[in-house]
Amino acid sequence: MSTVATAKLASLEELEALRSSIRVEQQKTQTTVALCCGTGCQAYGSGRLIEVFAEALAKEGLEDSVRVRATGCHGFCERGPLVVIHPKGTFYQRVGPDDVGEIVAKTVKQGELIERLLYVDPQTKEKAQTEEQVGFYKHQHRLVFGNNGAIDPKSIRDYLAVGGYAGLAKALSELKPDELIEQITESGLRGRGGGGFLTGRKWRSCREAEGEPKYVLCNGDEGDPGAFMDRSIMEGNPHSVLEGMVIGAYAIGSNHGYIYVRAEYPLAVENLGIAIRQAEELGLLGEDILGTGFDFEIRINRGAGAFVCGESTALMASIEGKIGDPRAKYIHTTDVGLFGKPSNLNNVETWANVPLIVNRGAEWFSSMGTEKSKGTKVFSLVGKINNTGLVEVPMGVSLRDIIYKVGGGIPDGRKFKAVQIGGPSGGCIPESLLDTPVDFEQLTELGAMMGSGGLIVMDEDTCVVDIARYFMNFLCEEACGKCTPCREGTKIMLDILGRICQGKGEAEDMDKLEALGEQVQLTSLCGLGTSAANPVLSTLQYFREEYETHVKDKRCPAGVCRQLITFSVTPEACTSCAMCVKACPVEAISGGTRKGKGKDRVRVPALIDQDKCIKCRACHEACKFDAVVIS
Amino acid sequence: MEQNAAISSKDNICAEGKVESKDILRILESHNKDRGGLISILEEIQSEYGYLPEEALRIVSERTGRSLVDIYGVATFYRFFSLQAKGKHLICACLGTACHVRGAPRIVAELEQQLTIKAGQTTPDKEFTLETVNCLGACALGPVVVIDGHYFSKVRKSKVKQLLEQAGEGFDKFDIGKDERIFPIEVSCPHCNHSFKDKTFAIDGYPCLKINVATDHQQGWIRLSCLYGSYSVSTEFEIPEGMVVNFICPHCNSEIHSTSDCSQCGAPMIPMLVDGGGIVSICTRRGCKNHMLDLV
Repeated sequence: MSTVATAKLASLEELEALRSSIRVEQQKTQTTVALCCGTGCQAYGSGRLIEVFAEALAKEGLEDSVRVRATGCHGFCERGPLVVIHPKGTFYQRVGPDDVGEIVAKTVKQGELIERLLYVDPQTKEKAQTEEQVGFYKHQHRLVFGNNGAIDPKSIRDYLAVGGYAGLAKALSELKPDELIEQITESGLRGRGGGGFLTGRKWRSCREAEGEPKYVLCNGDEGDPGAFMDRSIMEGNPHSVLEGMVIGAYAIGSNHGYIYVRAEYPLAVENLGIAIRQAEELGLLGEDILGTGFDFEIRINRGAGAFVCGESTALMASIEGKIGDPRAKYIHTTDVGLFGKPSNLNNVETWANVPLIVNRGAEWFSSMGTEKSKGTKVFSLVGKINNTGLVEVPMGVSLRDIIYKVGGGIPDGRKFKAVQIGGPSGGCIPESLLDTPVDFEQLTELGAMMGSGGLIVMDEDTCVVDIARYFMNFLCEEACGKCTPCREGTKIMLDILGRICQGKGEAEDMDKLEALGEQVQLTSLCGLGTSAANPVLSTLQYFREEYETHVKDKRCPAGVCRQLITFSVTPEACTSCAMCVKACPVEAISGGTRKGKGKDRVRVPALIDQDKCIKCRACHEACKFDAVVIS
Repeated sequence: MEQNAAISSKDNICAEGKVESKDILRILESHNKDRGGLISILEEIQSEYGYLPEEALRIVSERTGRSLVDIYGVATFYRFFSLQAKGKHLICACLGTACHVRGAPRIVAELEQQLTIKAGQTTPDKEFTLETVNCLGACALGPVVVIDGHYFSKVRKSKVKQLLEQAGEGFDKFDIGKDERIFPIEVSCPHCNHSFKDKTFAIDGYPCLKINVATDHQQGWIRLSCLYGSYSVSTEFEIPEGMVVNFICPHCNSEIHSTSDCSQCGAPMIPMLVDGGGIVSICTRRGCKNHMLDLV
């Protein structure tokens, strides 16, 4: 493929010349089959689809004129594996190996649509032919994620073809570091990792800090369970992160960068590694970048599975090869950070926004969003939601729009109960507050926080006490143990919540939780501790009744807490299919079968022996007719 | 405590792969330019041996000048590191929030029960190690279980046993999702329990199953092969490919309501009772071959 020299680019002109030549070359291939190879689609088997496509195209003699492009995550993980056929943009979902032959024969060769592979809107029953027509994409504003479907993350040529590294070229040639910082500040870009600190201001403090060398760091330790936007950026468009970091390093005056990636994200590490090598080969990274005399190198550090390492000072300790202990931040990391030197840490999504701002200007960026929160934000919409996936919307959109318009509402006709935003440090927001626009301040006011942007949707079958206990268990396990309020406070809160879930709660438990939660919030050392009580406090604030039902009536209305529920069979609904009898591990179910032959055949409905029942839910899950009910 | 025991008992550690000091030196060599690259070094050692052998840590300590206590601290602080050898098959169940609300704790409980070990432990025969993780970032697939690098999505409790059996034999031997066994079944209406068998008409050499179908404009019968695994059908009127139809019992005339959606095309799946106990669900979309058989 690469007939164009891959020698180092010595000037901006050479970069533009290379870009044009790649574009000319790519225009030769008319048709491209873009195949989503994000982690979600890969788990559904998209890796195998690449081979099947290649075989099918070779059989038709199309291997040279049609390109199969393995792209990063398209976001709509619910309907994977996803295939988009360009230039028309025909969008197929849930594509299996058996469909490939037909796609090549009909759509690729003749431009015909295959109706059964099109996405059908569950509400309007309309079929969508392209991504733009799908409700999930229609209401989004994809900037950071805009190119994910258009490039192969392992190809720097693809990134250059869509205008990659133009922001860097512009920054190096037209802007002085101070002007650059000014531009980022004016754009209003705030840290996407959760804190929401003004990025430009952070850069300035680091630039003005004394001490050499300075470090530029990227936080890819996406530890919040339920959030995977950073992973998808690192996997799907790694060069956008690198470009952002080089621009930032130029502005700050740094020559060394680190990317800290979670150990659970092997594909992200691989794709970033490839991207770094490619950028170095072209002289977009390393010594004398684009012949401007500016040097910058980036190393990847893998995490090793500690949530607290997402905290800035713990992350730096971890890069230094130490235990990930946070420290108090009365001295900012911009003054004393990694290896005791001035360091600037930004999150993956923040870095990916930087080239966009440099390219299109601060004004363009700040025209989106609310008064204090600008631009777009990527959310991962997960849990009890029809369209699970990654969603990018302008700041200020309401939670209701995200859940219902983009997310397509709650599956199986269940009722919405709450949405947990901001991961273990965030809070649960009830239905009545769904019209709140998402921005940093508004969410904090509600007792939640932006966090990294995980939105976990819960329906009426989710127990909020159980959720609070889940998060507390998570935080208790992940607490590093350095400061007492967090180490002991989370443990005691977990004990109380565990007791409530077991039906051993006492009337004063709720007040105790509140008092303790506020103490932990006030006195903990780092962000993990100060926000640890949020899930408990926010559920207590909005769902106190449910706590009371657990404590006073010893009942779990959602039917989750094992010690507080019973299972029974509604005889009228039971079809005697015997599925529950088979599923029960302790033989607690009698009946449930059919007896006799022909006309004499009668049904015996199933009956659960409460003394034997261990409340494992197996019968409830096995029943297809909703005859096993929880009360 | 367990980990304490492991680091002091040499027998336990040396039982598995032998630690060669030249391998450790090679790993150290490749990182000697990194400042503070201890975690990367340990990661590489772990990927080589599957865990962190004591001898390896001693060599690291000698060469890097970091005390063994320091290294032990790092090795026990991070969840990713293990001081004990792991089983042949690694099972990793996701306990992220999205998986949690979709019932992951029950999947972990079932795995624990089937393997008779707790999460974080290895079976005595060193076949399986069960681990949990706090989010794999594959939330659309939840609950997710990863076995030896293979992702399994929307895992249900009833599928756990089968997954473990397959894992024991190795996944490469199985082509998941393709079951080529073919056998006849007799099915009946979930409402009136009357059999759909139609002896007057044979498909694939067996008496067929006859059910009524209706679209928005037409009504008529559809005859299906009673062979599980065969997709032969014959219809009274032509049903266009891709169309979703309603199924109606020819005996009690009630519509057979869907209980789930097709995992392949999203159309409703309807259940029918299988003689002898169990349910077979078929997709109502013409041309979609998705079906599920759950026998007692």
